[in-house]
Amino acid sequence: MAIDFKKGIQKRIILVQVLMCALILLLAAKSFEIQIIKGENLSILAKNEYSKYLLVKGNRGEILDRNGNKLATSIDALSVAGSPKQIKDAGAVSKKIAKILGLNARTLKKKLSRQRSFTWIKRRVSPTEADQIRKLKIAGIFFRDDAKRFYPNRDLAAQVLGFTGADDNGLEGLEYKYNAVLDGNSMKYKITKTGTGKILATEKKLKEKLKGDSTVLTIDRKIQYLAEQALKKTITENRAKAGMALVMRPRTGEILAMANYPKFNPNDFAGYDRDTFRNRATTDAYEPGSAMKVFTAAAAVDKGFFSPKSIFFCENGKYKIGRFTVHDTHPHGWLTLNQVIKFSSNIGAAKISESMGKKVLHDYLARFGFGRRTRVNISGETPGNLIPYRRWSKIDSGAIAFGQGISVSSLQLITAISAIANNGLLMKPLLVSKIISSEGKELEVFYPTPVRQVISPETARQVSRMMSSVVTEEGTGTKAAIDGYTVCGKTGTAQKALKNNQGYSKNKYISVFAGFAPLKNPELATLVVVDEPRKKHYGGDVAAPAFRTIMAEAFNYLSIPPEKTEPMIAKAATGETH
Amino acid sequence: MFDRRLIENFDWGFLILILMIGSVGLVILYSAVSAGQDLSGVHVLFTKQVIWMCAGLCIMLMTLVIDFRELDKLSIFIFIFCVGLLVSVLLFGRMGGGSRRWLALGFVTIQPSELMKIALIISLASVYSNSVSETGLTFRKLIKPGIFCILPFILIVKQPDLGTGLLLLLIAGSITLFVKVEKKVLFSLSGICLAAVPLVWFTLKEYQKNRILTFLNPDRDPMGAGWHIIQSKIAIGSGMLTGRGFLKGTQNALSFLPEQHTDFIVSVLAEEWGFVGCSVLLILYFFLLFWGLNIAYGCRNLFGSILAFGLTAMIFWQIFINIGMVMGLMPVVGVPLPLVSYGGSSVVTNMVAFGILLNISMRKFSSN
Repeated sequence: MAIDFKKGIQKRIILVQVLMCALILLLAAKSFEIQIIKGENLSILAKNEYSKYLLVKGNRGEILDRNGNKLATSIDALSVAGSPKQIKDAGAVSKKIAKILGLNARTLKKKLSRQRSFTWIKRRVSPTEADQIRKLKIAGIFFRDDAKRFYPNRDLAAQVLGFTGADDNGLEGLEYKYNAVLDGNSMKYKITKTGTGKILATEKKLKEKLKGDSTVLTIDRKIQYLAEQALKKTITENRAKAGMALVMRPRTGEILAMANYPKFNPNDFAGYDRDTFRNRATTDAYEPGSAMKVFTAAAAVDKGFFSPKSIFFCENGKYKIGRFTVHDTHPHGWLTLNQVIKFSSNIGAAKISESMGKKVLHDYLARFGFGRRTRVNISGETPGNLIPYRRWSKIDSGAIAFGQGISVSSLQLITAISAIANNGLLMKPLLVSKIISSEGKELEVFYPTPVRQVISPETARQVSRMMSSVVTEEGTGTKAAIDGYTVCGKTGTAQKALKNNQGYSKNKYISVFAGFAPLKNPELATLVVVDEPRKKHYGGDVAAPAFRTIMAEAFNYLSIPPEKTEPMIAKAATGETH
Repeated sequence: MFDRRLIENFDWGFLILILMIGSVGLVILYSAVSAGQDLSGVHVLFTKQVIWMCAGLCIMLMTLVIDFRELDKLSIFIFIFCVGLLVSVLLFGRMGGGSRRWLALGFVTIQPSELMKIALIISLASVYSNSVSETGLTFRKLIKPGIFCILPFILIVKQPDLGTGLLLLLIAGSITLFVKVEKKVLFSLSGICLAAVPLVWFTLKEYQKNRILTFLNPDRDPMGAGWHIIQSKIAIGSGMLTGRGFLKGTQNALSFLPEQHTDFIVSVLAEEWGFVGCSVLLILYFFLLFWGLNIAYGCRNLFGSILAFGLTAMIFWQIFINIGMVMGLMPVVGVPLPLVSYGGSSVVTNMVAFGILLNISMRKFSSN
């Protein structure tokens, strides 16, 4: 029986061998089907899976100061991305990641629950955040090289530079105005992607190659810094609301500093009041007050009506024009034109204007650039307001002569003052001097551009000399005097116009000091404007000290030799000093 | 005890076949663990697998010393020992991937469910060799083997490891059919199995149901449950006739393949060596299985015959299920490919099986 049974078993073994053979052939047939029949199509599918085209964008170009110091740059940063289809427990993963990155866990979970192969989780995280995430070792969470806009000098020149948004697009300032220049170039780029969504080829080199162009400014980081410091000091001391300080090179119109206060940090702009973002020096127009008398005098001298020695009767402090009365701070009798400037007599200025006529004053003011944009490359520039002379009333022509009824921007004012310093030649303000490629090649150079000869060089010299008397004894701007240099300047103290056009505020002032130095060969022009100082309010008390600090420190930094060396050396030689 | 005949009868061909498949397996594994990694030197998993292979060969040679007929007498103790191991897995086992399958024994971890396969085969061979008849097994004679099957099955499914559990039943079923059952028993058992299908469906866990639905229609959820099988198919297909070359499989290197060093290792072979490579492995396996059945055929001892058949069936089902799953012929079940997939317990179990087959082969002339 065992033998029979054994035979039966052997028969079945042969049967099983045949069956097995068939099943293995089935496997071979399936392999044939996938690899030979469908092979080609599946190969293409495979290639499509790992070869993807990615839009690679180069880093954003830099913003440099005139000496090549970085004012705005892009630093490498990691962005966290996820491949939702590979994340198993979206809820738990979201909780962990949200905690590290400070995101909302619920919205993140929603993002990670979608069946997609790629989603950003957070762009540009800090290195510590990246480390923490890396330590979690979650499948389907990975990093991408990204770049973060970084302003190494923090709030320095923040309003000039502006800032960029989430997609690296400029939102304010030069970042906005020059977005097309700074923006990195894009290129479609073939990459190899792994099943976990990682990208194998390095993008870094390519990103460097595609980097956007950089802009070189006329700003000098050092002068910008000291202007900002001096401005801040006078604003805090006088408990003022806001202020600006501009430094310009009169010969070229180059802006060396453009300071605004209050400041903000563009690295973290979200934490600041939107009101601090704008570059007040170009966007805000205000009535400059007595600083305008310089241009009134320039017009009068240039047109040949008066010389600095012409005399005016200043009505002992009260002068009626129509139903309005013009006042002087201190009553004066007879004053020369020079003294009108030196003591800042409103009545004197009004009388000069009356003698010249509206058209002459208007035309000169227009030729100095008031009422029209300077066309410096800053967005939102105000043209100010210079009313057409035909619409000037009698009081208007008097008031405009001493800086009321006309509004100007700080940039216009410093540019016009610079024209006087530059022998009467008005220059176009220059902020961006060059555009250079990522390899440092100069793509575009902006040269100093003369606009027009506003007044003759002789007039300019005479006005300069009058302005230098402002800083001498009894003048309104003695606090602007700098040892060793002859400073030319003009104070301004304007009552702020009320918002409803109902006259002027009693206690809100704008204090101004505008000037340049040295007299003979002006190197720098500086304007300081302080908005609503509460302690003192005269331009000579509030703005002049800041002007002095900025000029003195800038001269020192630029190694501009003092003019009055000869008497000093003589004194030293005879042993008088010590 | 060791007479010269044993050496003369030693099945060198079978051993060479095992070594060939093992070598092929190591080549594929090398690629599977090291492609796409920036490691200088050899991947630690590869080294581990080589050590396991060597250890497995030693254990295989050790099994040759004892006459396989001793296993007949020892079968019940082996069975109890393995059941004991399974129980301790449930009590002190180590968790991994959501289930408790491993026992930590000092410096190694073992997977007792692997060893259980062999224990069950020995036990069934022992039971059946004493109870078969020309007309086939009756219901009554199936009670004892039934208990032998159900007990470990329940313990393994509890881990949970449905794949190994079903494999166990499949092996037991194959042996049972092989020794012949009565016709009415056969029909009623088939009927019971069919009736059980819907019942089983409801006891399946969500992910298991998903696997089956995905098998029926992989495009149902291409990014989720279907991802493995679609990726595996793409990798296999892109191998085409001759493959992309050793270590040059992109889908492997770029981590598109899931579990590429364990259950889905065939897709690495298929991608890098193409249809030719697949065919070579299948032919090698075919010879191995054919050889195993020949050992069963040639053995004069009934216990040895059934044992050899059972072991060969075990190897066959693992191969068929694994490759079939990777090729998309059946749902995804976690069954390793003998001698190729990474895994110490699997290597050792299969080596023990080959050792017993060699043992039977060299003692085929001795009868009861």
